[in-house]
Amino acid sequence: MFLAFQYPIEIPGVATMQFLKVAANAQRKARGEKEYTVPEFMKHVRAKAEALNINQDMLKRAVNVGFSGGEKKRAEILQMAVLEPSLCVLDETDSGLDIDAMRVVADGVNALRSPDRAMIVITHYQRLLDYIVPDKVHVLSDGKIVKSGPKELALELEEKGYANFVGQAA
Amino acid sequence: MNVMTTMTPAEQALGLTLPNRREEEWKWTDLRRFVERPYGAVVPADRKAVERLLAQSPFAGLKGPRLVIANGVVDEKLSRLAGVKLAKGAAAVAHEDVLLSLNNKLGVAGATLTFEGAVDQPVVIVFVTTGENSAVASRLHLDVAEGASASVIEVHLGEGAYLHNPVVSASIGKGARLDRVKVEQEASSAQHLSHLIATLGANAILNDFTLTAGAALSRQNVNVDFTGKGSNLRVNGSYLLTDSQHADTRLIVDHKVPHCTSRELFKCVMAEKARGVFQGKVIVRPDAQKTDGKQSSHALLLSETAEFDAKPELEIYADDVICGHGTTCGDLDHDHLFYLRSRGIPEAEARSLLVQAFLAEAIEAVENEQVREVLTEMIVERLV
Amino acid sequence: MADEDTIELVREIDVDKYKYGFETDIESDFAPKGLNEDTVRFISAKKGEPSWMLEWRLEAYRRWLNMEEPKWAKVHYPPIDFQAIYYYAAPKSQAAPKSLDEIDPKLLETYAKLGIPLKEQEILAGVRKQGEPSRLDDAIGSEYASGKVAVDAVFDSVSVVTTFKDELAKHGVIFCSMSEAVREHPELVKQYLGSVVPQGDNYYAALNSAVFSDGSFVYVPPGVRCPMELSTYFRMNAKNTGQFERTLIIADKGAYVSYLEGCTAPTRDESQLHAAVVELISHENAEIKYSTVQNWYPGDKEGKGGVYNFVTKRGDCRGHHSKISWTQVETGSAITWKYPSVLLRGDHSRGEFYSIAISNGRQQVDSGTKMIHLGKNTSSRIVSKGIAAGRSDNTYRGLVSAHRKALNARNFTQCDSLLIGDKCGAHTVPYIESKTSTAQFEHEATTSKISDDQMFYCRSRGLSQEEAVALIVNGFVRDVLQQLPMEFMAETQKLIGISLEGSVG
Repeated sequence: MFLAFQYPIEIPGVATMQFLKVAANAQRKARGEKEYTVPEFMKHVRAKAEALNINQDMLKRAVNVGFSGGEKKRAEILQMAVLEPSLCVLDETDSGLDIDAMRVVADGVNALRSPDRAMIVITHYQRLLDYIVPDKVHVLSDGKIVKSGPKELALELEEKGYANFVGQAA
Repeated sequence: MNVMTTMTPAEQALGLTLPNRREEEWKWTDLRRFVERPYGAVVPADRKAVERLLAQSPFAGLKGPRLVIANGVVDEKLSRLAGVKLAKGAAAVAHEDVLLSLNNKLGVAGATLTFEGAVDQPVVIVFVTTGENSAVASRLHLDVAEGASASVIEVHLGEGAYLHNPVVSASIGKGARLDRVKVEQEASSAQHLSHLIATLGANAILNDFTLTAGAALSRQNVNVDFTGKGSNLRVNGSYLLTDSQHADTRLIVDHKVPHCTSRELFKCVMAEKARGVFQGKVIVRPDAQKTDGKQSSHALLLSETAEFDAKPELEIYADDVICGHGTTCGDLDHDHLFYLRSRGIPEAEARSLLVQAFLAEAIEAVENEQVREVLTEMIVERLV
Repeated sequence: MADEDTIELVREIDVDKYKYGFETDIESDFAPKGLNEDTVRFISAKKGEPSWMLEWRLEAYRRWLNMEEPKWAKVHYPPIDFQAIYYYAAPKSQAAPKSLDEIDPKLLETYAKLGIPLKEQEILAGVRKQGEPSRLDDAIGSEYASGKVAVDAVFDSVSVVTTFKDELAKHGVIFCSMSEAVREHPELVKQYLGSVVPQGDNYYAALNSAVFSDGSFVYVPPGVRCPMELSTYFRMNAKNTGQFERTLIIADKGAYVSYLEGCTAPTRDESQLHAAVVELISHENAEIKYSTVQNWYPGDKEGKGGVYNFVTKRGDCRGHHSKISWTQVETGSAITWKYPSVLLRGDHSRGEFYSIAISNGRQQVDSGTKMIHLGKNTSSRIVSKGIAAGRSDNTYRGLVSAHRKALNARNFTQCDSLLIGDKCGAHTVPYIESKTSTAQFEHEATTSKISDDQMFYCRSRGLSQEEAVALIVNGFVRDVLQQLPMEFMAETQKLIGISLEGSVG
């Protein structure tokens, strides 16, 4: 399972590349697969990074340290791409992103969509869902799912607001 | 009331009284209690053990010049001294304390390395000590001539329950530079009581890093005196202690002249029942205007029984200065650990990664990449 | 606006550097000079003490005989001849005054001349009665408009008057002199005296325990929030007298009390010894806030005379969720040796120390705090601002320690020094001891001078050098200033100006 944080944590002193490698190999070890060698892994990450418009320089820097909001979010998606989890939770990944950055993030997420991978996208707005088209929409209020529906439900929400649903829950 | 206490067998054997915790500088390291063996005469080092230890030295892979000092005596056969100026004897130092007195009492010939011009290869100086219940003194002087630059790596290795008392002095001439790396990896039941006295001339540079990993007791006194304007000092250190290891660094940086800069950074990691101590003092004398001095010490306690004590001191008599110190101590950052764990990194590995990151900042001062890699590897190995 | 006050004050300063240096001509009743068991018996008898109190004093005296004067502080002074000091001096003609009218008018004049604390002076001078609003309140904020400050004034060795006693009694608060407490509330005194600072704690505490003359006693019963600020006023007057006051404050479960202490002494060539002991006890959920403004006579420009201020102040957070906060403004005394500390014994207890220490002339200050974390989830905060000018030495000395069982202890220390001129010294000597990985300590210290840019900016706006310094220093100490009760804030800003007078140019 992978949780993309709303506010990714900064870890001074730990290089992003080193961090990714340790995490990826830990998974492979757990799955009984062969661990990546350094050159293999570099190649693997670089390809993914390029797709997300993450430059090589960022990989050398410490995890999230000094990253802008957009960079942090892209780094989260990169981690997701590298670690290939079976369940992904994206917690308000769209907050603080401009349109271009949102598109990059969404493309990254869409590239990872597959029948054997579940994704939960948490958001307050429709705009992210313009890029990541959901299969199902659930409205959560007070810790309970108060309504479920197809992707159109999100559009309806955008139009009418949450008030109706919150009222139902109360 | 000053009651004369009777000398302990160790004190009798060493021929001097040892300080106890009532003395301010020894508050956290009661030397009288630690040093308690009735030391016998020093025997020549066991040649086979010396060779074995040399082969295991983390810097065995470096092919450059090497000076081997076994049980306080230069071993010319094991040394590679091509291009190195080595002389017998070492000049007296202008400081007084019990570790220097001990060095004098134990009596040692000493050696002097002189550096002229630019030396690009680091000289590896290996201090090997062997023997049970012996108190061994070593004495080395590093003379870096005006305008010269030198790089030395000091490695301390050994076998047995001995006491090693190395005194290293360094005189760094006008416009000269010395890069020094020290790795303290003495035998696990050994005691390491060292003193470094460095004097910097005008526009000189000293860049120093010490990794403290070995010995049951490690006490390292460091004195740096600025005697000429415009000099730069960096003293960094890392502790990597476990079991019941005890390490105490007492560092005094003395700004006697104006326009000098000093930076000290200590990163100390203590696991199990280990205890780390850092006593750092920056003195700025009345004439030392425009001094820029910063000191930080940070401790990471990895177990509930580990300990850290610090006394980061400033003594300032000049007003146009910028000085400061910072000290922190605590556990690994739980948020960091959580983040790493959330990415599937197992607990032990995550902790090791964070400890490496914690220590990395202090090691960054080592400019020679190859040496830095060796140090990093040593740390990783120890953390596994 | 406060800064303008300081500037105004600096402008007004005349040649008389120490405005509190005058002597009140009152006949004093002295104990024979010197110290022996008879002196201790004399003091105890003079105060009509019960035998247990005398025994307690004698025990302290015997311990003191076997102790050595501490030498570790960064202060230098000629040896003190403890046999050349008068250990007891009481103004004669004092017969348990019940109201201000009965007080020797000369004494009241003294308080008037002191000029601080402003509100006490007002009350003592009869300008205003209990409960009446003060005209000062307009300037310092409406929350203090009730104008209630209870004062216990200690003149040399005897507590002279305690105001607002009745009002306090209504709430069950006991606020009286130590001597009275020994007579009237022996059970409380027996229970708490020496329970935080034992007789043999240190050389000066032992001396104080043997010969303490008077001081304040406060007891706030469970659940009571003391309705007014309590204030004590110390003043040393007679020649060659040491002042050894002893203060004991107890906040019972859930109680709250704020206590202010102000000190002055007249100008003298010889040095006067002051060795006080203050003990605070905070029970479960209780809080004690103790503020001091100390401006004893600092000696003249050449370092002649002045008060030796060797004080032991310690608080004990005995119950869970208890809190003790020390705030001090130290501008006076030739030598200061003072470390208001907190023992954090109760779980979740909290200790605070806020300090401004200003030294000028030949003053020597060695002050700081100790935060001893013993209970679980305890926290402490230290903010120290040292300002050294002239030929003075100003040292911060502090200890933060976490014992093995002090799980999750937290400390933050900020320790800043400012140097004015190149003949003074500013030193920082913190001790940090952690015996548990769950403790998190953070310590930061800086030393700097007033930057040329700041000076230039102020000067370009028409401020004189001295005005600029006062302004900048007031900014430098702001964090601590804010901790002071309103009564002391204005006073302190003035004091800062006075203390730094002559430090530049």
